Amino acid sequence: MKSKSRYIGLALFLLIGLLPFGLALVYALLYSFGIVGIANDGFTTKFWQQVLVEDTFVQSMLYSIVISILSVVFSVGIAMLIAIKYVSKLEKPFMSFVSYLPLCMPGIVVAFFLIQILSEAGWISRLAYSIGLIDQLQSFPSLVNDSLAIGIIVAFVSVVMPFFLLLFISVYRQERLDELAHVASSLGASPLQIAIKIKIPILLHRTRMIIILYFIFLLGAYEIPLILGQESPQMISVMVVRELNQYDLTKISEGYVVAVMYTILISLLTLVVFSYHRSKTVSHA
Amino acid sequence: MLRFVGFVLLLLSLSACKREKAVQNIDLLATDWKEIELQAKGSTVHFMMWQGSPAINSYMNDFLIPKVKELYDIELKLVGGQGPEIVQLVMSEKQAGSNSGQVDMSWINGETFFQLRQIKGLWGPFVESLPNSQLIDFENPHISIDFQQPINYMECPWSITQFAMVHDLKKTPNPPANLSDLEVWIAENPGQFTISNDFSGMTLLKSFFAEISGDKDGLNGAFDEQKYNRLSGQLWKWINRNKKNFWKEGETFPKEQTKMDQLYANGELSLCYGFGEGSIDDKIRQGLFPNTTRVYPWKNGTIRNSNYLGIHYNASNKAGAMVVINYMISPEAQLRKIDPSGMDANTVLDIDKLSDDWKVKFENREKRKYGATIEELAAYAIQEPDPQYMIRLYEDFRKEVIEK
Repeated sequence: MKSKSRYIGLALFLLIGLLPFGLALVYALLYSFGIVGIANDGFTTKFWQQVLVEDTFVQSMLYSIVISILSVVFSVGIAMLIAIKYVSKLEKPFMSFVSYLPLCMPGIVVAFFLIQILSEAGWISRLAYSIGLIDQLQSFPSLVNDSLAIGIIVAFVSVVMPFFLLLFISVYRQERLDELAHVASSLGASPLQIAIKIKIPILLHRTRMIIILYFIFLLGAYEIPLILGQESPQMISVMVVRELNQYDLTKISEGYVVAVMYTILISLLTLVVFSYHRSKTVSHA
Repeated sequence: MLRFVGFVLLLLSLSACKREKAVQNIDLLATDWKEIELQAKGSTVHFMMWQGSPAINSYMNDFLIPKVKELYDIELKLVGGQGPEIVQLVMSEKQAGSNSGQVDMSWINGETFFQLRQIKGLWGPFVESLPNSQLIDFENPHISIDFQQPINYMECPWSITQFAMVHDLKKTPNPPANLSDLEVWIAENPGQFTISNDFSGMTLLKSFFAEISGDKDGLNGAFDEQKYNRLSGQLWKWINRNKKNFWKEGETFPKEQTKMDQLYANGELSLCYGFGEGSIDDKIRQGLFPNTTRVYPWKNGTIRNSNYLGIHYNASNKAGAMVVINYMISPEAQLRKIDPSGMDANTVLDIDKLSDDWKVKFENREKRKYGATIEELAAYAIQEPDPQYMIRLYEDFRKEVIEK
């Protein structure tokens, strides 16, 4: 009975989880080679050649990777700092509510909110103007739709950081880090040593898979980079949608090439991460 | 288990029969109008349109939908979607060989018409069969020619509009109206001008293009590769020379018109532009634009075009779509549509072809308070150039300007 229900579970996973994904990938692959698509004339490799010749995909991929790494590093760093320093305070009902609140904010709302705050005519800029820090609104530095992607990173951090904060607090309790810290302290360790040698390594070790999965999630984020990003380079999802919606129908296949390349890269990355994690888990067992 | 599978298969076959019934096989184009109205009675029409404007949504929901229900017993259902979504939908349905589409009719502009024609996604020619089409002046090239392609009655004109420049009387009393003045102006006012990377921005570039060609009608006729290369070279040079003085020093460009409007509204930009003769009245009324905002013509001219209604090649309810479209170009519906406090869109009807009482109503209509009328901009009207210009402008604006 138990094995039967396991098979049903597996079948459902294959049917709901993998089949649509697999079919979509096959369709995209066929489209990218011109085999399907109303505006295509049959098998060709010209769309792949075109995308590989242009460096837009590589640029966009690198841009997405850098932004995602920075966002995850800042999110994890800030959340770690707060969790270690204020863990007991954050468990009070009001503070707990405040730390949960940002999780309820959809990315698109955060993006629009940041435009209101950080743009050249936003609240901070107006405040700076009214107290005489800048002589005109245009002198305010570009913080949204900017070349350094500051707006995107700030939005990512504000969406992701609260999640890590809650995660770290939970792991902190599970691993009884306070008790470990107490022992270390009685053996003569300083608070800094306790943080660097005990708390941070344990928290990172226990959450490393989630951190990597968040990195992958941010790599494919769409709404925030669409609203806060610039027109070139663009993060990968924004670029794919742009290619798919282009005016010249004969070039839509190039969008599918990019989508296929991105899917393969991410699938490989996920596979490597999970195999590594599994091998580590098995060796630990 | 087998019984369950059998039940599911039965349901599927029944639903297939139902869909099949919806597909009409009679020749609607040769059918008497009364018969078409009769066939449309009690049916549902799915209309895909851009739903980003509260004024347009209000016109549809508060006026058109109840009217077609009352007059023809037609249930009009709106489906959100514009250009690329419409084209993607039709492409997918063609790919799947679907004879019974999800959507019956769409609101389209020149670029979508061009794309739908490429994939034979439209049904027709149906426009001549609509009784109210007699009231439209198809001799007007801004109506009968869309992106240099004759519409051939494959799409029905719904509104006509002209692109116009927008400025603030208080901030910019003497706005630039040609490229050399604009160059001087943006050097003196850095960061206050930009080109959106969308349909509106490309339309502005077409005006610049025509100006560089030295003639208002310099882009008329079929696409000319040599002409394009010569003019675009000069245009990219002009933009790249000046983009350091654009918004955000030309490092990025707004993605779309709504972003341009926001930037103008919050004071970052001092010059703006758009179709609907600038489309400023509703934004002033909403308090988005300052009430000192005005519209002005670009000296060499700006694009004037029409937007249209098309019936999908696989529409399930072509008769219903024809009846709805016929009502949408009726004097009653068109008069309501030009209300400046509502949709504020110009009529495609030829006033001279209307009966006297409708003529009076149109002539006595409420006028715009802030924006220019299409008649005032008539001397500056340019026809939409061949679609190839648009394709190349989109591609090359990215390659030659954005990515440089």
